[in-house]
Amino acid sequence: MTTGSHKPRDDGVAGIDRRDALKLVGGSAIAVALAGCADLLEDEEDALEDAEVPDEPIEAGLQTFLEGAPAVLGVQAEMGAETAVRRINDNGGVAGRDIELDVIEEGEEALENYQQFVDDGKDVTFGPISSGNHEAMVPEINAQGVINVATDGTVTTLYEEDHPPEDNTYSFRFQNHDVMEALAAAVEAVEVLGADDIDTFAGINPGYAFGFDEHEVFSAGIEQLTGAEEVYDGFPDLGTDDMSTHIEAVNSEEPDVLFSSCWGGDATLLLEQGHGAGMFDSIELMVGPVLYGSANDLSEGLVDGPIRSGSRNFYWDEPTTDRWPPAADLLEEVLEEYDAVPTAHFMSGYGAVTAWATAAEKAVRLLGRWPEQDELAEVLTGHGFHTPAGYHTMADDHQCYSNAHFGELAWSDDLDAAVLENVTVYAPEEVSPPQREISLEWIGGW
Amino acid sequence: MIDSFFVHTLNGLWYGFILFMIASGLTIIFGVLGILNLAHGELYALGAFVVFSVVGYATGLVASPDDPVSTVVFGVPIPVSAVVFGVVVLAAALVSAAVLLPVGAFIEAVFVRPIYDRDEVYQLLLTYALLLIFVDVMKFGWGTSPLDAGTYSGLNQIPTTELAGFDYPSYNIIAMLVSLAVFVWLVWFFDRSKTGRIIRATAINRDMATAIGVSTDRTFTLVFAMGAFFAGFGGAMVSIGPQTAFLEMGLDPLVLSFVVIVVGGLGSLKGAFVGALLVGVISRWAIWLYPAVELAAPFAVMLAILLVKPEGLFGTWGEIE
Repeated sequence: MTTGSHKPRDDGVAGIDRRDALKLVGGSAIAVALAGCADLLEDEEDALEDAEVPDEPIEAGLQTFLEGAPAVLGVQAEMGAETAVRRINDNGGVAGRDIELDVIEEGEEALENYQQFVDDGKDVTFGPISSGNHEAMVPEINAQGVINVATDGTVTTLYEEDHPPEDNTYSFRFQNHDVMEALAAAVEAVEVLGADDIDTFAGINPGYAFGFDEHEVFSAGIEQLTGAEEVYDGFPDLGTDDMSTHIEAVNSEEPDVLFSSCWGGDATLLLEQGHGAGMFDSIELMVGPVLYGSANDLSEGLVDGPIRSGSRNFYWDEPTTDRWPPAADLLEEVLEEYDAVPTAHFMSGYGAVTAWATAAEKAVRLLGRWPEQDELAEVLTGHGFHTPAGYHTMADDHQCYSNAHFGELAWSDDLDAAVLENVTVYAPEEVSPPQREISLEWIGGW
Repeated sequence: MIDSFFVHTLNGLWYGFILFMIASGLTIIFGVLGILNLAHGELYALGAFVVFSVVGYATGLVASPDDPVSTVVFGVPIPVSAVVFGVVVLAAALVSAAVLLPVGAFIEAVFVRPIYDRDEVYQLLLTYALLLIFVDVMKFGWGTSPLDAGTYSGLNQIPTTELAGFDYPSYNIIAMLVSLAVFVWLVWFFDRSKTGRIIRATAINRDMATAIGVSTDRTFTLVFAMGAFFAGFGGAMVSIGPQTAFLEMGLDPLVLSFVVIVVGGLGSLKGAFVGALLVGVISRWAIWLYPAVELAAPFAVMLAILLVKPEGLFGTWGEIE
């Protein structure tokens, strides 16, 4: 449970010493630094000194949304990737090699951006944010053979059905896939209201692959958990300027639960118009997996009402910052550097870089030299690593698995930003299927 | 069902009134100058960004809408601070739109005037270039993240429909009334005022207007500045509502403005007004009854009307009416 306000770190209570940290994250300097424990390793002997590693820096490319409505998420990913790179370079680089990160606008040219990165000789690429863009990129990534670790692009079917492991070598994804947050939303609704008190539900989701995917998974989950009936599903255009028709439809149906995977400007518009039209008096609970992605753009009035939001694989105050120094340090660094509260999309960028960098250093240790792309892909598959968000595993299907977070949307005067209170953490096995199982079939078997 | 129909219709009217405010500037410029201004959406976005800055300063000068100061008018308690807040916000929207007047005048005098006699493709290239420049100007001025003026909930505290016994966002009612006032003023201006009649005469016969001493240069500059003003006012009115101001916000309104002026008849103010309300109401009904048609609804309305009246509802080429 969190308090929703930033508590200063008490170094006297911090529970990790150098030996614990090294043991915990595998003994690598940058692994420890990226886990948020760099100060424990100031004089650690470098075990990578004898490896044959090129002198030149690692060329990396990140594509993310830097402009317009999607920038609410994309700029956070940029901050996260930059923070990880800064920490890596400050701690001696990846096996001694610094990273030079080139950040470009994702736009609608994700495929062309990736090709340009490859033509420019990038050693690794990160991004995109968009599910549609990610779907378009995967075949090209495997054709070109330069590893891409997607920050988001989280549509469930991507690695389950469209690009299973036997057809995919070089494409990886760090952030939790949709099934985890959509199912966490369904479980959260049941936890809050009780299965017997949920008879109806409705959905307002963005009208593209991500929104359809989230709605399908949530519907399947809540129907299995409660037997509830869907009374409305609306799919406003991404970046729409009006949600009033959907809101009135919800008001007239008065569902027990409203599910919405709207994000960025769509999320604030839905909350603004929803409050204006009295929507929160017509429903018992709203669950939104990515509402907290707009934490820095929500105002105090908007978080009012029975609203619970997900925060994907990272909520900065879970565990609370007074118990978890890596998160406290990260929050302090991000507030100081960017004057923003880090959201799950910050971790999307941070974690994608961390996944690749820690795997690369592991590969150098194993091989005694810098790995080829296929060797690095091999090491990255099944790789486990730490970030301030906790422990992550890049599974055989190239999907990374981490905890999922859900909590009550609230306001912090200290931060002048939205926070989550009463946060529940869902382990991956609670909200995603075992490897090689299709999510909807798995849910159907409950 | 009837209650819901009523609210959906109100929502459609509100959306239509908003569309009219955006499209009015486009139709004025096209009707008089014959210029299809692709940068119109960015002038609209510029108004949305400017009001974010102006409203932040202006509302800081007055009491919070939450202050419990109220008075009783005909037995109805009226929250004075909320009303004052609303007046200040609307004044801020007008001031923001006024910023667009010199911007429009400058664009016409420097960029548009040299291409009046050239092929239409030059208009499209020029105004598209202006579109891109404006995006960069806004990026430079306000950054890349969406901005919320934060006035929507304050405006909703002004009592409107509650006085008639039902709940509906007061902002929507205010926006509809303002848009109606814009329409009435524009009709009066072009029908009754001397300047408006000169503009219409110039649009009908440029050579004759010049022969009787009308400065077409000044007239056209005024018209373009007016078009920019109303584009900016539309953006400002949207931005003080539930929507944020963001860099790409000009694209959809530009496309919908074209739909509206084509439905109404190119260059017709009355046509733009009726077309905007038709597109607003029918598209909201369509989304209500069959949500999947959200993207297609406005274009389906346009298609249906053009099949019956290919020149649009009030088509008057080359003459503002």
